[in-house]
Amino acid sequence: MMSILGFLLALVVGVFVAPILGGLITGLDRRITARIQSRLGPPILQPFYDVAKLLGKEKLLNNSWQAFCAYVYLVAAATSVVLFFMQSDLLLIFFVQAVGAVFLVIGAMSVPSPYSQIGAQRELIQVLTYEPLLVLVLAGIYVHTGTFKISGIYALEEPMLLKLPLLFLVLGYALTIKLRKSPFDISASAHAHQEIVRGVYTEFSGPYLAILEIAHFYEVILILGLVSLFWSTSFVGMLVLVALTYLAEILVDNVSSRMTWRWMVTSAWAVGLTLTLINLLSLTM
Amino acid sequence: MHSTLMFILIVLPFLAAIACAVVPVKQVRSAVVVVTGALLVVASLLLIGKVPFETSFTSMAGLPLASMTQLADFLLLGFVLFLGWKHKHLGIKILAGAQLVILFALEAFMMDHHAASMAFVADPLSLTLVLIISIVGSIICIHAIPYMDNHEHHLHLTISRQPRFFAWLVVLLGTMNALVLTNDLLAFYFFFELTTLCSYMLIGHDGTEEATNNSVRALYLGSMGGLALLLGAVFFQNMLGSLEIQEIIKLAPSAGYAMLPMALLCVAAFVKSAQAPFQSWLLGAMVAPTPTSALLHSSTMVKAGVYLVLRMAPGFVDTTLSTYVALFGAFTFLATALLAVSQSNAKRILAYSTVSNLGLIIACAGINTPAATAAALFLIIFHAVSKALLFLCVGTIEQRIESRDIEDMHGLFVRMPVTASLAVIGVLTMILPPFGMLMGKWMAIESAAANVPVIMMLALGSAITLLYWARWAGLLMSHPLQGGVTPEVQPKLTKYPLVALCGGAVLLSLLSPWIYSALIVPMIDMVNLANPQAMFEAPYVTSKGMLGADSGVFPVAPLFLVLIVGMFLGLRVLKNAQGAREASIYLAGAQSRTAQTPDSFVGPVNQPVKVANANYYLTRLLPEGKVTCWVNTAAVLLALLLVVGGL
Repeated sequence: MMSILGFLLALVVGVFVAPILGGLITGLDRRITARIQSRLGPPILQPFYDVAKLLGKEKLLNNSWQAFCAYVYLVAAATSVVLFFMQSDLLLIFFVQAVGAVFLVIGAMSVPSPYSQIGAQRELIQVLTYEPLLVLVLAGIYVHTGTFKISGIYALEEPMLLKLPLLFLVLGYALTIKLRKSPFDISASAHAHQEIVRGVYTEFSGPYLAILEIAHFYEVILILGLVSLFWSTSFVGMLVLVALTYLAEILVDNVSSRMTWRWMVTSAWAVGLTLTLINLLSLTM
Repeated sequence: MHSTLMFILIVLPFLAAIACAVVPVKQVRSAVVVVTGALLVVASLLLIGKVPFETSFTSMAGLPLASMTQLADFLLLGFVLFLGWKHKHLGIKILAGAQLVILFALEAFMMDHHAASMAFVADPLSLTLVLIISIVGSIICIHAIPYMDNHEHHLHLTISRQPRFFAWLVVLLGTMNALVLTNDLLAFYFFFELTTLCSYMLIGHDGTEEATNNSVRALYLGSMGGLALLLGAVFFQNMLGSLEIQEIIKLAPSAGYAMLPMALLCVAAFVKSAQAPFQSWLLGAMVAPTPTSALLHSSTMVKAGVYLVLRMAPGFVDTTLSTYVALFGAFTFLATALLAVSQSNAKRILAYSTVSNLGLIIACAGINTPAATAAALFLIIFHAVSKALLFLCVGTIEQRIESRDIEDMHGLFVRMPVTASLAVIGVLTMILPPFGMLMGKWMAIESAAANVPVIMMLALGSAITLLYWARWAGLLMSHPLQGGVTPEVQPKLTKYPLVALCGGAVLLSLLSPWIYSALIVPMIDMVNLANPQAMFEAPYVTSKGMLGADSGVFPVAPLFLVLIVGMFLGLRVLKNAQGAREASIYLAGAQSRTAQTPDSFVGPVNQPVKVANANYYLTRLLPEGKVTCWVNTAAVLLALLLVVGGL
């Protein structure tokens, strides 16, 4: 079992360091994206300025359950990151993360605005699309390591990527959806003014939107943490893998346009399930 | 003491039923139902300290019990035959006739009736079921008291049909208790048939054309299950010379032609648990008053099927049959979850979700490892509580808004804050951690992870499940702040059952590590005792309120701590948010200025156009009729494979 010190360390890193790191990565993302688009881009710290500004704004709500849902989303996201740093059960971490996803949807649905309602429906379809893929990636990790615990992955002698290359691709596919990157930015359309405005985020404003942003910082860390597990044997390898993966995500985001949800579900499941099947069978044969 | 408890659990409901049917006074009937419920609850709780035990009775009140059951069995089949004749249903006539002949052959030529007594075995598995049947079942019966008054008021009946209704309701409880406690396969068959008859009576209660048709269908499909079960019993008697369930599990051969009776028992269980392709009877059961559906779906009836599979599972560990059972269950889990997506009728969503969850339980029974068995038991317990809560909520909502379409429940929180909140909590306990259902699903996925086809179906099914539940919960809360919430007044007998079930769903989840050590570990020990080559070990260790194993860990108590902190924070924020300025919904600047309510666009000639929202039901992608057709075809093939494949 884990020592008290280790527990406290995981708690502090998970609760306080993770969102800062997540914010910085988001800032970096915006900067790189801007450069790709031949713009100068905002300062790296811009996400923090945004959050600070939002926190200072007036509270404006249509339905008070929105506030409740935003905070539950935050608590769930933070809990999943803490569990990650405690090297807990991956499947459990994933389910805890899902609590946040569900409450974001309920929060968006609690306001009868068509934009947030459609956003919420599409968000559910996004969850529907990436959830089975992620569960299957975790099942593959179990087949390879014999456990769902992260500690089991760190006990490996060679990087998981070598044995689970196809599952890593599936993970990348699923995480593009989770990170709200094009071509799957269907429920919240981060770019410009589009047909559903800001979709699932439309009705959240001021301090409540800030809470959602912070929760998203946590999620970015969780996602990159998952990626890092595929090269668990060396710290440098981990960093390189995470950096390359995230750069690839940014690139895909910038070179593709948004697609429809039908295309998302069918393509993600067709590609994801096929790759999973091949990789799982090669492991179990 | 044992015999007193058995008397209360099994015989008392029958006596109560007679009282309900004979005494036409409403107050007396209500009192009988409440008192019977209370006694059942007490007796089932007292049973906890007594298991495991075996007991057998040769006579009751001077009458020979075994011969009485035999007689009753023939009478029951005769009655079913009569019903087949009455409804001019050839299928029922053939099935009942065949069963009569086979039963006669079995009783007259194959069995030795010297030591005729009726044996009961109470072990942790039957105890779990008895607790669910007696506690959740009684709560549903009590909720039915005000419900049926409203129901009959609504139908403008001159003569109340409630005596009949409550009689069958309590008979079902007694029958189910007997079914899970008996150790004799033939007695099991009798009670199995009796539950079919109960469902026929309860589904057809309202007497409309639709109700009658659906009740006949339930009887027809139920008889199919009965025939499969009886054939299995004949084979077992022929092969092993015994119909004692514990003996069969111990002696059951594990290969070749000898797997056939086990497979037949599984098919009987699939019929009772409304697995595809037999799901239509459970969907049809929705025409009945809600307490019926709640009882059939959550704590009784369908649980008889999964109980049978789980009971027999140690008898087919590591066989081809087991593999096929896992595949079949996982397939039903996925397929009926897909069917649930296209539904907007609340009761049909609940029905498909029941079938789907039972599929998951059967998949666990088929995986047949200690961890999977633990998952199955957790799923049975928590599904019963949460599903009962959701059914009673839908019933309560339906009587108020006169619709069971979830699209009519937009913003129900404003009109029925208590019921809507309870329904939302019910939904959340079905899909999210740290609640028991999710823990069961977590165990199921972890124990199926190495089984490629099963894990793929479980992963897809579990995501689809989240979709159809979450959108319903969200829609109940969907309302603008303006105008405020109207307080809701519920009759006491409506409110207490709902609150008890909701509290139960949450509290039992918190207690799950202790439930695990008190029920599931002993159950696995019992399996070892009955089946020496099994050598099962307890799959998890519990410490500090956490369930852990080498393969994974589920920190129940710590997660509940986070939940409490999260709720505290959330509710504080909610309270503070009451002071927030009200914003009207975002309509891209095209808000109508002339409309009375702020949720309208400006339309042509400045006329307001009210915003209308609806869920995605993906009906173009997943039309129910077509999907059902494909699902049934695939399920028939799978079931055939299961029966033939083991040979």
